[in-house]
Amino acid sequence: MDSVKLTIDGREIVTTKGKKIIQAAAEAGIAIPYYCYHPKLSIAGNCRMCLVEIEKMPRLQIACNTDALEGMVVLTQSLKVSEARKSVMEFLLINHPLDCPICDQAGECWLQDYYMQHDLSDSRFEERKEPDRKREIFGPYVVFDGERCIKCTRCVRFLQEVTHTEELAVLNRSDDSTITLFPGKILDNPLSVNVVDICPVGALTDRDFRFKVRVWYLQKTPSICPGCSTGCNISVETYQNRIARFKPRVNEAVNSHWLCDEGRYCFHALTEVERLSSPLIRQEGGLVPTDWEAAFWAVLFGLAKAEPFAGLLSGRNTNEEAFLFGKLMKRLSPEPALEVVYRERELTDVEKILKSPDRSPNFRGARDMGASTNGGFETLLEGLLQGKFRNAYVIGEDLVSYAADKEKMLSVLERLSFLVVQDTHLTPTAKLAHVVLPSTHFGEKDGTYTNRKGRVQRLNAALVPPPGALHDWQIFARLLSDAGEEISYRTPAEIFQQISQEIPRYRGLSFSEIGELGVQTGDDRSHP
Amino acid sequence: MEKILLRSIDIPDSHTLQVYESCGGYRALRKALKEMSPEQVTEEVKASGLRGRGGAGFPTGMKWGFVPKDSPKPKYVVCNADESEPGTFKDRLLIERDPHAIIEGIVLASYAIQSHTAFIYIRGELAYGAKVLEAALQEAYRAGYLGKNILASGYDLELILHRGAGAYICGEETGLLSSLEGGRGWPKVKPPFPATHGLFGCPTVVNNVETLVVVPWIIDQGASRYAATGTEKSKGTKLFCVSGHINKPGVYEVEMGYPFKRFLEEDCGGVPGRRQLKGVIPGGASMPVLRADEIDGVQMDYESMQAAGTLLGSGGVIVMDDSTCMVKAAWNIARFFAHESCGQCSPCREGCHWMEKIFARIEKGEADSGDLDLILNISGNIMGRTICPFGDAAAMPAAAFIKKYRDEFEEHITEKRCPLR
Repeated sequence: MDSVKLTIDGREIVTTKGKKIIQAAAEAGIAIPYYCYHPKLSIAGNCRMCLVEIEKMPRLQIACNTDALEGMVVLTQSLKVSEARKSVMEFLLINHPLDCPICDQAGECWLQDYYMQHDLSDSRFEERKEPDRKREIFGPYVVFDGERCIKCTRCVRFLQEVTHTEELAVLNRSDDSTITLFPGKILDNPLSVNVVDICPVGALTDRDFRFKVRVWYLQKTPSICPGCSTGCNISVETYQNRIARFKPRVNEAVNSHWLCDEGRYCFHALTEVERLSSPLIRQEGGLVPTDWEAAFWAVLFGLAKAEPFAGLLSGRNTNEEAFLFGKLMKRLSPEPALEVVYRERELTDVEKILKSPDRSPNFRGARDMGASTNGGFETLLEGLLQGKFRNAYVIGEDLVSYAADKEKMLSVLERLSFLVVQDTHLTPTAKLAHVVLPSTHFGEKDGTYTNRKGRVQRLNAALVPPPGALHDWQIFARLLSDAGEEISYRTPAEIFQQISQEIPRYRGLSFSEIGELGVQTGDDRSHP
Repeated sequence: MEKILLRSIDIPDSHTLQVYESCGGYRALRKALKEMSPEQVTEEVKASGLRGRGGAGFPTGMKWGFVPKDSPKPKYVVCNADESEPGTFKDRLLIERDPHAIIEGIVLASYAIQSHTAFIYIRGELAYGAKVLEAALQEAYRAGYLGKNILASGYDLELILHRGAGAYICGEETGLLSSLEGGRGWPKVKPPFPATHGLFGCPTVVNNVETLVVVPWIIDQGASRYAATGTEKSKGTKLFCVSGHINKPGVYEVEMGYPFKRFLEEDCGGVPGRRQLKGVIPGGASMPVLRADEIDGVQMDYESMQAAGTLLGSGGVIVMDDSTCMVKAAWNIARFFAHESCGQCSPCREGCHWMEKIFARIEKGEADSGDLDLILNISGNIMGRTICPFGDAAAMPAAAFIKKYRDEFEEHITEKRCPLR
C-alpha cells in the first residue's frame, strides 16, 4: 500500500493512502473531537466538531472527510480550530436541556466530555429553548429524547447501512429537525440497541438499563458474550455485584463495534435466578442440604458403578472446564458418552449480521477439548430418552427444556439410577437429581471460550460468586483428585497451560497471549 | 444591446415549438450534432467565457470538462430550475416563455458530456411553468429533438421533468441531487463533487436555467461573439430581477459591466415618489446589502460587485427606500433562512434560529447593547463552517445589515422600540 507523509500539530506522521485526517491523527494518538463520524458508518460531516486548519486552505476543513495527503500540514490545536470547536459546542448546547443531573447519559455523554475539554464557557443564549418530544418509545429497548438529540444521524445511518431496516429517519427542517420512526415501524430489529451505543448523547437510551445506576459507579470487565458462539467481545458492567448491562467491545475480527439485543440481555436469564447456597443430596422425602465433602463422596460413589452413563456439558462451560470434565469422565468410565449442548435455529438476515444459529458460546471449544464422544447432542438426548443410560451427569443446563416431549423427559430422568446436576439454581432437571452441586455462571469465572470460527477468547470474572457455590472447574478438579488423578494444575491459567500442551489446536498458546481480543486457534491461526 | 436571454420572449406564443423554430430555434442543436464533436461543444462554451448564472459564477465549460470521459457509469445533466432565492424570478420567466431554449441548452450540454439521461428539477411552486415545460417536452420529443436518434445523428437523450416539493435548500446543487434521488433534500459532503459523484453516485453536471438558455446562442452565433460582450472576466449578459421600492420592477437583461446606479435610476426609473434610496441587495436575499452611498461606481458584474463587498448572486435586486426599517428587513431575511436551513450542520441549524430570535428582540425593543456583536459573532461562527453555502447565505446578510446600518440597530436598542413604526 502507498504511504503518505503529512504533518499534524508539528509531528510528522506516516499513514496509508486513502486515510482521512481524523484516522491518521488517531493512529498517531492525536484525538480530534467528533460526534457524527463513526468508523463503520458513511461520512455525514454534519456535526462540524472535527474542523481542523490545513495549511494553504482558507477555510477550516472537516477532518472526517478530508483525505490525508502527502505534504499536508494540519493543525488541530490552533486558535482558529479551538474557537471553531467552542462555537460548535455552543451551537449544540443552545437548545440542549442542561439537566445533566437527571439525564441517564451523564458520565458517558460526549457533550459533557467535550464541553470540559474544548469549551468551558458560559452560554450566551438567552432565548427560549426549542421544545421537542420527550420519552418517546422507539422500540422494546430504545427510548428517545428529542431535546437531547444533536442530529448527528448516527442512528439513522446505522439502520440504513448496517441492518438495512431503516426504522428511523430525520423529520422536518432547520432546528425543527428531529429523529422519528417511519410511520408504522418500530425499532425492534435484532440489533436495535446498537443505536444506543453509538448515540453520543442522551437522545437514545436503553430502557433496560436507564435510571438503574449512574454510570460512574459501574465496574467494567472485558469479557465474552455468552449468548451464542459468535463470541462477541463485551464489557460486563456491574454494580453492587450484579450485572447492570453488557456493552460491545470493539473487535474487528469478531463483532466489529456491535452486539445483538438477544446477547445484550441474555445475562438476565442466566444470572437473575435464586442461587443454590449449598450442595443438595436426595434422601427420603426429597433434596436436603449437605456439605461439599459428602456431596463429592456421593458423586464419586454414585458414578463409580460400572453402568453406562452420559455426561452433558453446558455450551457455556469454559475450555478449562470441558478439559477437566473430559478427564474426569474418562477416569470414571472406560467409554463415557460425553456431549456439549448444541442446537441450531433459523436466523433472519438481520440476525445473521452477528448471531450464530446456536446459543452455546463454547460448543466448539468443548468439542476441541474432547467433550463430544457420542455423535452430537441430539444423539445423546435420543439415547437418554430411549433409556440407554442408567447414570447421568448434567452441567449447567436444564435438560427438560430441550425435550420436545417434556413429560417423557421428566419420567426418563426420574427413572435414572443416579443423576448429578451441577447448576446455579434448582432447575426442573435439578429437582430430579440425586446430588445437586451449586456452581457459578459465566459472569463469575475466569476461563476461555472458543468461538464458532475457532478464535479462543478470555472470559473474565466480573462478579463475586455467592457463598456456597464453586466454579465447575473447581468441582471437576476436586473430583479428579478425589478419584485418584494426580493433577498439578489448579487455576484456569494453569489448566489452559495444560490444554496448550495436550490439545494440538491450542499448542503453544498461553492465557496472557490471548489478551483482550483473543487469538485464532489451529489451522486458521494464519488468519487472525 | 442585442438580447441573448430574452431574445424571443415578447413574441406571441414564444413558448411553442413553431415560434421557437421560426426564430432559429434548434439550429444550434442541428449544427452541434452534425458538425461538432462533444469536445468541440465544450470548448466553444469554454471559449465563450460563460459563467454559471445560479449564483456562484463558476465557468460553465470548465464544469463540463470535469466530467470524466472514461467513466463506465452513466452521466447525467440536471437543469436546476428550483429558483427560490428571495427576490429572484428570472428563471421562471424563461421557463414560461422560452422553454425550448432550455431544452435545447440541455440537449447541447448532454451531448457535450455524452449524457443520455437529463433532468429538469423545477421548483414545486412553479406549477404553471412545469405545465409549459411538460408541453414543450412533448413537442420536442415529437419533433425528434429528444429521444432516440436525435436528428438522425445517432445520439439519444431522455429528458425528464421532476417537480420539487418546496424547499429552498433543493436549489443547492447537491441538495437538489439528494432530492432527485428520492431522499431528503440534504446537501452532500464534498468531496466528492457532482462532476464525478453526482446523481446516484454518477458523473453529473448541474446547470442553472439561465446558463443553459445561453448555450444554444453561443453554439449558433459563436463563442467569440459572446466573449465580445460584457467585461473582461464577466462575459455576456445577465438577467436581473428588480423588486421592492422601484418604479419599474421586472426582469431586465443587462450587459455585464453596466453601471448599477444608472441601471436603478434610469432603466428602472428610480425609487417612487419623493423617497430616497436607502439600500439595495444586488443578488438575492443571501447577498450582503449595499447602502445607497455604496452603489456609486459599482458595475453589474462579478468582479465589481465583489469589490464593493457584495456578490452578483442570482441577480435578485431588492430595492429599499428610506421608509424601510432595516432591522425588520434583516429579521425578515433571517427568519427565511432560519426556516429553510436543512438542519444538517450544527452551526447553521442552531445558529440561524438564534440570530432570528435576536433580530426579533431588537425589532421589538427587547434587545441590549451586546446583542449586535453577538449576532456578528454568531454569523462569523456559521460562515465557512457548513457543508453547503447555505450557512454563508444566512450569515452574510445578517452581518451586512448590522455593519451597514448599525446606527439604526442601536437606535432600536436604546429607544426600546422601532423608530420607523
